[in-house]
Amino acid sequence: MSERLEKGLNVLRAEMDKKVMSFFSSCVRCGICAESCLFYTETDDPRYTPIYKTEPMRKLWKNEYSFWGKLKSKLGISEPMTEADLSDWEELVYDGCSMCGRCSMVCPVGVDISMVIFKVKHALAVAGFSPEGLVGATKRAVEIGSPMGITMKAVLATIKHAEENTGLKIPLDVEGADYLALLSSNEIALYPEYLESLAKIFDHAGVSWTLSSAAYEATNSGLQIGNKAIAGQLVQRVVDGAEKLKVKNVISPECGHAYTALRWEGPNFIGKAYPFRVVHILELLDELQAQGKLKTTGMETDRLTFHDPCSIVRRGGIQAQPRNLLRPITENFVEMTDHGSMNWCCGGGGGVSSNERAEDLKHTAFNRKKSQIKEIGVDAVVTACSNCRMVMEEGLEYNEMDIPLLGLTELIAGHLAEKPR
Amino acid sequence: MIEYLIDGPLWYFSLAVFSVGVLWQLARILFSASKTDLSVARGSASSGALRNVFSRFIPHHEIAPRIRVQVIAGYMFHLGLFALLFFAAPHVLFLEQNLLGFGWTPMPHWAFIVASQFAFFGLLILWLRRMLNSVSRLISTLDDHVAAILTFVVMLTGCLALLKGFTELRLLHRFTVELLLIYFPFSCLMHTFTFIPSRAFTGAWFGRRGIDA
Amino acid sequence: MVEFFKKHSLGSTILLLAALLLLIFLLLPQAASAAAPQQHKDFPQGVSAANPGSDLWREIRQRDLPVEGITQVQGVDSGVLINSQGDRWARFRIDNPVSYTPAILLAVIAIIVLFYALRGKVGIEGGLSGRMVKRFTDYERVVHWTLAIVFLFLAITGLVLLLGRTLLIPLFGHHVFSLLASASKEGHNLFGPIFLVSLIMMLLSFARRNIYEKGDLTWLLKGGGFIGKGHVSGGFFNMGEKSWYWIVILVGLAISVSGLILVSPNLGQGRVIMAISHVVHVFGAIVLIAISLGHMYMGSIGTEGSMEAMKSGYVDINWVEAHHDRWARQVKENDEILSAEEFARLHGRKPESPDTATGKS
Repeated sequence: MSERLEKGLNVLRAEMDKKVMSFFSSCVRCGICAESCLFYTETDDPRYTPIYKTEPMRKLWKNEYSFWGKLKSKLGISEPMTEADLSDWEELVYDGCSMCGRCSMVCPVGVDISMVIFKVKHALAVAGFSPEGLVGATKRAVEIGSPMGITMKAVLATIKHAEENTGLKIPLDVEGADYLALLSSNEIALYPEYLESLAKIFDHAGVSWTLSSAAYEATNSGLQIGNKAIAGQLVQRVVDGAEKLKVKNVISPECGHAYTALRWEGPNFIGKAYPFRVVHILELLDELQAQGKLKTTGMETDRLTFHDPCSIVRRGGIQAQPRNLLRPITENFVEMTDHGSMNWCCGGGGGVSSNERAEDLKHTAFNRKKSQIKEIGVDAVVTACSNCRMVMEEGLEYNEMDIPLLGLTELIAGHLAEKPR
Repeated sequence: MIEYLIDGPLWYFSLAVFSVGVLWQLARILFSASKTDLSVARGSASSGALRNVFSRFIPHHEIAPRIRVQVIAGYMFHLGLFALLFFAAPHVLFLEQNLLGFGWTPMPHWAFIVASQFAFFGLLILWLRRMLNSVSRLISTLDDHVAAILTFVVMLTGCLALLKGFTELRLLHRFTVELLLIYFPFSCLMHTFTFIPSRAFTGAWFGRRGIDA
Repeated sequence: MVEFFKKHSLGSTILLLAALLLLIFLLLPQAASAAAPQQHKDFPQGVSAANPGSDLWREIRQRDLPVEGITQVQGVDSGVLINSQGDRWARFRIDNPVSYTPAILLAVIAIIVLFYALRGKVGIEGGLSGRMVKRFTDYERVVHWTLAIVFLFLAITGLVLLLGRTLLIPLFGHHVFSLLASASKEGHNLFGPIFLVSLIMMLLSFARRNIYEKGDLTWLLKGGGFIGKGHVSGGFFNMGEKSWYWIVILVGLAISVSGLILVSPNLGQGRVIMAISHVVHVFGAIVLIAISLGHMYMGSIGTEGSMEAMKSGYVDINWVEAHHDRWARQVKENDEILSAEEFARLHGRKPESPDTATGKS
């Protein structure tokens, strides 16, 4: 048995908890999960069936945890797992799964399939079966501090630019601020409007906030590649930065997987609870609105819809907030046919968008979003995840559809009422 | 001799394998390791678990049109089988005389016929779909086929013995039931019980994240 | 005797005669079963006929004419004491379906074997190309196989019930046969309605494509290609398939309806309707079983590439060209032909050259 196989199998063994045991014991291979997965519905390739992507884990369970497997190995007729049992699944879990979790919603026996897929990803990452794009991004994240190779110098330039545009001072490394805001790589490189919007909104609502030069990056490549140790290392940077500035809250930016990494998985990655609260920007804006600190004026007259980012809505539970925020500023808001926790993924989550190899498959998977958007005929799509936004902008352009994407935070910043005196 | 074996020792053996096996498998799952989630919960895990155990009986409307065959055939089979198992007159009588000491009102003969037709029809369609659909064929294992065929044979022998005139037919039914009981704890038939913890674990996870699932 | 009448009045005599009549009725079963028509020593001497029952029998039977009497019992056919038609029906059953069915089925099998020996498997010129066209959906194939399995089960149990007395009793003896017959009867009655439901599903999902159209007659005139050389022109379904489909639907419905009448005798139908239903049921079944043998042969070892249509739902483009040229034209126009690789991909087979799936990191 090769060393990398043993490494991978050990990860799977360590991840074999009571949930996984009950999942494999109750799965009856009905195939319903396939019908929920956009990689299957758009390609008709049965290998993209969600539960099939967990096959390495199921094989291990069958060999080492089930009656027949144990009996077979006692009799010396078991079929041991080979390297192919891991390597053959690399394409399926990295290219053909965006970790959107829609399958976990529909399984009749309640298997949280995407959770098991993540465990398989973890094993593949440790065994070294990961796509180059993600390996490179993870390496940059560990070494430079950001998967896109963005250094503090670039952040400072963005800050300067935002200050010029807004005429507001953007606080950096302010000790004792209430909120520490983080940015995702995309928001620094592609959507600097996000930072400007934060500055405007927090100025309007009188929120005490700061950025940190030690912890500015919210993107977590460790989560995308599935390596829990690296993911923990990246989360620890944020925890250290937040502890240094003694902030009470950390704001997760408009980025789906960053929210999952910080809010839900982070404490488990680093093995201890946080001394601060993690709040998603949409949650915070919703709170401010409810407290009457966020007042908007004017209405968008365009026909708009909201794309629910999987990690924030389906896997994050922030479903009402974006709608609460959109209601006062849109006249002509429509929901997509499947929305909320059953929304279809943009096709680029779970690291697919950073995996150049998956480009064609990603475009095929995007057909679902394309027809969803076409069906309701909107002027623009609002979302709250910089990755979804980037993937959909690319996808719409690829399909020659001239529909702009808007960030929700940015949209609100454009509707702020006169600052209350 | 065979009659004695099937009605006596084999019956008690299969019953023991079934009950000990099921309890053992369930205990193994429930007492396995699991890590405590260190993140701050937004909602209640226990109410999420409870809700999910029941909400999964009804498919989401977003996916329902795509899985109509599985849902309709699935319900036909499971409801039919449940009715047969607990409300067929011979079963009620058997349970009363051999296991429980008390009985309940069985369903009338016509209801028995309808229930078994539902069960046969549903199981036949589900099993054929398993063989014919490229997704289910890819993911199905030997266990799935054995379990389906064994269940079908048990139901069939039961219905063939309906006239109650022949010991041989009754013994055939009982023998297949015993095979099923022995096979049960080591197969996907365990989903009869494990769907509950499975749904509950996932529901708890959804619940603490405040997800409406 | 004379003294008896002298001593008693007219009224008491009538009463006595009435009582005697009642006694006769009560004794009828015993009288009928008695081997010798000897006179009972207690029998009243006043009745002169040697067998008083014969008059009575003649009255209620009237030879073979159906006779209906009057009775206070409310119910279908309750006015008929003896159904003379029953004998004729039973004789008909034994003389016709029971006697001929084995011969008919053996003849069909013999024809198939002979055909296979002479003509062999009907091949496709140029063989199979590997390029596939979708023919049936999952649902359509599920419907087909559900109907097929239920049909086979009903055919086997039905034949056990029809031919058991003449074929199985000599082979297995009375006990085994009665056991088989009991099981078959229960199974047959239970699966019958499932057959009807599957038949309706088949009607709903295939009817539109089986409507006869222009060009179907040519197929018939050329004997479906079995006469002479070469294949005959056909659309999505050819004339032969369409005809088999309608036979299945119509005869199947006749069998189902007659079967439902037979399985529920308390719906108000009389014995005549039951007898007719039985005849329809048994002849319909023999027709379907006989043709289905041919269908099974043609769908499996008889024709190259046919089985694939009901297995994967796809057929080879060369098969389409050979048997359904008009459909082939449509398929080509709509660009529906899949490459062998695409077909493999749709069936979950891993791509041959996994250049994307190698772990290089």
